Amino acid sequence: MPSSATAAAPLAGDRRGRAAALRVLLLAVLGVMALLALGWGAAGDTRVLAALTARFGVGEASVRDMTIVWDIRMPRVLTAMLVGAGLAVSGAVMQGLFRNPLADPGLVGVSAGAGFGAVAAIVLGGFLPAAVLGWVGGYLVPFAAFLGGWASTLILYAIATRGGRTSVATMLLAGIALGALTGALTGFIVYRATDDQLRDLTFWGMGSVAGATWAKLLTAGPIIAVGLIAMPVLSRPLDALALGESVAAHLGIDTQAMKRIAILSVALSVGASVAITGGIGFVGIVVPHILRLVQGPEHRNLLPNCAVLGAIVLLAADMVSRTVVAPAELPIGIVTATMGGPFFLWILLKNRRILDI
Amino acid sequence: MLYEGRGITVSYGTRTVLDRVDFAARAGEVTAIVGPNGSGKTTLLRSLSGEAAHAGQVHINGQDAEAMSARERALHRAVLPQSGSIAFPFNVLELVRLGLVAGLASADPGEGDRIVLAAIARVGLKGCEARMVQELSGGERQRAQLARVLVQIWQPVLAGQPRWLMLDEPVSALDIRHQLTIMRLSQDYARAGGGVIAVMHDLNLTAMFADRVSLLYAGKLQRSGAPSEVFNDRDLSACYNCPVRVNTPPDNGGPWVLPQSMV
Repeated sequence: MPSSATAAAPLAGDRRGRAAALRVLLLAVLGVMALLALGWGAAGDTRVLAALTARFGVGEASVRDMTIVWDIRMPRVLTAMLVGAGLAVSGAVMQGLFRNPLADPGLVGVSAGAGFGAVAAIVLGGFLPAAVLGWVGGYLVPFAAFLGGWASTLILYAIATRGGRTSVATMLLAGIALGALTGALTGFIVYRATDDQLRDLTFWGMGSVAGATWAKLLTAGPIIAVGLIAMPVLSRPLDALALGESVAAHLGIDTQAMKRIAILSVALSVGASVAITGGIGFVGIVVPHILRLVQGPEHRNLLPNCAVLGAIVLLAADMVSRTVVAPAELPIGIVTATMGGPFFLWILLKNRRILDI
Repeated sequence: MLYEGRGITVSYGTRTVLDRVDFAARAGEVTAIVGPNGSGKTTLLRSLSGEAAHAGQVHINGQDAEAMSARERALHRAVLPQSGSIAFPFNVLELVRLGLVAGLASADPGEGDRIVLAAIARVGLKGCEARMVQELSGGERQRAQLARVLVQIWQPVLAGQPRWLMLDEPVSALDIRHQLTIMRLSQDYARAGGGVIAVMHDLNLTAMFADRVSLLYAGKLQRSGAPSEVFNDRDLSACYNCPVRVNTPPDNGGPWVLPQSMV
């Protein structure tokens, strides 16, 4: 029997208590990991903790410690946590929408579009009028990536929607076509790129949270958070959708409203994530899958736990990326792909019997 | 109180699947929709439930169903489709709990749990709560889905209004014992004041349990009425394109349909 944190008399087969207990455990792990990522342990417990509390007028810390903890490490840690949470929740939402455990947050076209936007900005950004460049400043690449991702999703949504009904199957297939097209356009621009630009492109594609700043976090953070805010609205409809669209409607769900909210909130969340960190794969597939195995597929518990575990995974990946080739840094996308790739294969092999049917 | 369809017409391209069908089911009764394969039974049920686009009007307890939201319709009727798949590893308890997903049954979660357990017991799956739906046999899965449907409209009468159980071939995958279990359960729901509308293949089960029958043929309503009126040699043989003989055994008086040789 799962230990129950809430119910008085646990029902047979009820996994809600297990999910609640798991959430408490995951939150505790996340808290410890965040402290570790801020340098607790490495730079001496007292100095990091002193810098943390000094901000709120408790105790004192040197200016240097304050700068390191609050201006360099804190935005990076928060960015990793928020992006990890956003990607994992977006993955779970997409898997629920497509009724397929292997669906990726990029399925709504946002990743391909964002990649195109970023590449175009890196290679062609120099041709923009000085006034525009002055306005976007150093944020040209994230800005273009976000616009590209958002535009791509809107195009797919428009293609797949007829007479007020969106077909997720059409969206998936149109996404493949649009992905091929943007891939070709991206390839064309890459072909014209200089060697320095090629280096930038390569590293953007591998993803990194190293460039995190408060300014970027405060701009992109609220947009990423849209995907998290949508969780309570989406969880019950996504549960019903596991039975198919018509049954969900029989159960009283407004399926079209649900699809619209799911697609647009994922596009916002993933688009903003990709914009500030580049491409980070596998978090959106692996995290929901592990949690479904442990606590069952009910989204009311799955989505919040995905947010916490997603934050943990990306924070861990960032700590690995900072330390494994120190003092240099490995792009975080390489770390998540190295961990996630084999795991994904394991999922495939384990589910082959089900997938073959 | 009635569940009514007037002039229901459904066309796919130039093919007319249902042609101005009038249908009415009464609360307190089991109404069966019968007819050969392709006669439009499932399409009629899907039109009545609000799933299929159609011309004509549907009224539930006197209210226009077109004007209702998905949520309002879900309060009035629950639908068991012919076949259902479920994505992700839900167990039986979680599947049946989906009947509560729109939050219509009760604001009190304890009350919801009580209804879910009662529905699981009602279909004979007590003790199977923790089993994965994917691992159930076809018959068990059908019964688990029926429990989910029952949870959605657990009280047959709500605020003085009957609620409607819509079943598409509910017993086709089941053995004789479970066929009878499900049909009795449907009959009990009707006797308690709710309404049952069921698409049926088995004419003898229909004769045993249905209070009224609508016989469809090629998208048109051929006859409707009590089984003893609708089930006659001439109409059934013509509609099913197969010679059948309707017998009336002396003991219970219900008609009994026997196919004859097709030579």
